[in-house]
Amino acid sequence: MRRLVKGVFLLVLGSFCQHAFGQAGPYVRQEVDPAAADRGKRLYTQFCINCHGASAKGTEQGPDLIRSPLVLRDRLGDQIGPALKKLANHKADLTKAQVTDLTHFLKDQVEATAKNRNAEHPPNVLTGNLEAGRAYFNGAGKCSTCHSPSGDLAGIGRKYAAIDLQQRFLFPRRSKPIQVTVTPSGGQPVAGSLERIDDFSVSLRDSSGDYRTFSRDKNVKVDINDPLATHNQMLDAYTDQDMHNVVRYLESLK
Amino acid sequence: MRRLAVFLFAASAFGQTTFPEAWPSYNGDTSGRRYSTLSQINQSNIDALSLAWVYRVNPGRAPQAGGGNVNTTIKGTPVVVNGVLYTTIPDHVWAIDARTGREIWHYVWPSKGGWHIGNRGVAVLRETVYVETPDCTLVALDSKNGKEKWHTQICDLEQFYYASVAPIIVKNHVITGVSGDDLDIPGYIESHDPDTGALQWRWYAHPEPGTPEAKTWPSVDAMLHGGGMTWVPSTYDPDLNLLYFGTGNPQPVIAGQGREGSNLYTECIIALNPDTGKLAWYFQPSPHDTHDWDAVQTPVLFDGEINGQPRKLLAQASRNGWFFVLDRATGKNILSSEFVKTNWALGVDAKGQPIPNPAKQPKLDGALVTPNQGGAINWPSPSFNPETGLFYANAARAWSVYYLYDNDDKPEGWGGNDRGGFSEAMLQAIDYKTGKIRWSHKWPGNGSGVRSGLLSTAGKLLFAGDPSSNFVALDPVTGEPLWHAALHTSVTNGPITYELDGVQYVVVGAGDTLYGFAMRAH
Repeated sequence: MRRLVKGVFLLVLGSFCQHAFGQAGPYVRQEVDPAAADRGKRLYTQFCINCHGASAKGTEQGPDLIRSPLVLRDRLGDQIGPALKKLANHKADLTKAQVTDLTHFLKDQVEATAKNRNAEHPPNVLTGNLEAGRAYFNGAGKCSTCHSPSGDLAGIGRKYAAIDLQQRFLFPRRSKPIQVTVTPSGGQPVAGSLERIDDFSVSLRDSSGDYRTFSRDKNVKVDINDPLATHNQMLDAYTDQDMHNVVRYLESLK
Repeated sequence: MRRLAVFLFAASAFGQTTFPEAWPSYNGDTSGRRYSTLSQINQSNIDALSLAWVYRVNPGRAPQAGGGNVNTTIKGTPVVVNGVLYTTIPDHVWAIDARTGREIWHYVWPSKGGWHIGNRGVAVLRETVYVETPDCTLVALDSKNGKEKWHTQICDLEQFYYASVAPIIVKNHVITGVSGDDLDIPGYIESHDPDTGALQWRWYAHPEPGTPEAKTWPSVDAMLHGGGMTWVPSTYDPDLNLLYFGTGNPQPVIAGQGREGSNLYTECIIALNPDTGKLAWYFQPSPHDTHDWDAVQTPVLFDGEINGQPRKLLAQASRNGWFFVLDRATGKNILSSEFVKTNWALGVDAKGQPIPNPAKQPKLDGALVTPNQGGAINWPSPSFNPETGLFYANAARAWSVYYLYDNDDKPEGWGGNDRGGFSEAMLQAIDYKTGKIRWSHKWPGNGSGVRSGLLSTAGKLLFAGDPSSNFVALDPVTGEPLWHAALHTSVTNGPITYELDGVQYVVVGAGDTLYGFAMRAH
């Protein structure tokens, strides 16, 4: 019964917290109201920006507010409001509503910082040399061994954003299955598309569509043909300049 | 219970596993070797190893604080004391009969939130079980019934800290660590009174302002917000009375232009006096890290021979792809070598520390780097086998592109990230005397996502999880797979072994399930 009561309490608490402070995230933090944050930004720009900086990261005149434990512990102005009244040279006459708006702006800055491992804008990766990229494509990079700008790569620069071209050129997604040939001891080779392999068994789908599994031991020969093997091996060969040049060239293939 | 208390307070000589009937702490003993002297299960009979029990954790229907689904993945290493096995997920502790896999009790912490990314297990001292919770609390439970004895705050959730590490018992100290790298906060490690939870000392992962080491930061402000979390359990040498652990990434994580310098004591292997929290020495595997390569991997302690001389050694296979052997009394470097090929270092300095190549730091248009952010190894535990002299690491060779998103003079948080890429997984056997790879077993199939720790035993066996949901026993001399069990998902913790009533058990976690294997006599 005690566990049940605790569970009901958590359900109620969770419901309350979702309403009051927002539901997602690792901790029940103050949910940012965008309209209030906009109003708070105007207040911040008017009264705070000169000392605490444009993004609240502080200046020589005032401390960093994103790293401020007082700001981090604040809920809807319960810390910031009294602090404004207590600290010298601060705007002590803000209304409670204005202080709340200010907290929404500051919490918005904190949340943005905490999430800035995610890019707001795609990085500009078009910094290479187009002609050097073309030369690498047709030469040392061996790309032209399998790919053609007028064939499989025709229009590739239109199809993908540059950042995606960079990722896909380095780490291409698998479009064709790995091919495998299994030769059991004293048996005939069986070829097909690799479904699964570990140290103990190998599974394939043969040309008739049958799923077949073979136990592995030293007498069972397994030959794998991975179409991406060369791509993976080339990772050791590319310089960053090669990478940028090739991306610039691929992007030109409109 | 008295015998266990003697073990914990007096500790054991290195090279001995004194409690085969138990697995009394995160690493089994204080050395971090994850080597057991048990040999009932061995190469000659491994084919007969069979499933004895299965236990699936059931956290109930309470929602996870802060939203999202309850994370039921068992990432902790179970602790076994007096025939009872303790296992965890965030906010939950279960006591299970180690012979049968039947539940004895289940404790639920009423969480306020925090990252529920994982929990690495409990510590046990006498009749108390200690666990950290995501919302920054150290909780002490009665081992008999799971009732709470006390709890105490160990970090500030409001500053985006959280807690996940398994506490470690050293003498009359409960050693706790902290996590969190969303914002720029300093890491630290604490010692608490085992009876009351009172703080005994706290050691911050940064130097004192004004010391020579503080010059490895451009400013005191950068240093005091410089990160260095302590999220993998410590090891301990009772003869030297030194506690060893690693520290995590500096802050901001990726955008390092506002913290020029080597950024001590982030990315360090640290030796402290556990009675005072005073620093004895440090060694930095990743000076000025900008790739999130926390150097928290278990510092493994063993006695060995270097150039014909007996030495007290410490070895770490670090997330950045480098293997280090140190004198654990002094921290002096003996050997530095790559255990997988990397492309980010220009060599090593006079201290044996890798020199980061500025060209491989994150760039606005990207830098192709190996290893990736996940690392050549992550938190899953390695193993050292004194019989083979080999250090085993479940490793990965992984690539990604590191991008700088924020090129401001004072970035905060992360300010960048990596994207990609390609990864292949392999089990590496490293000769500690030379750093050379004695054997490498490449795991076939999907190369990503190996999150299995390792266990080696006197039965001439090395246990590991592969990326294809198998629990595997290998020959530790050659790397040849000898036995396997296909689980429902891949191994997610470190396997353990113990012997009860003359039966040796091997227990491993995969997802939300513990599998207990045993050699059943008929």
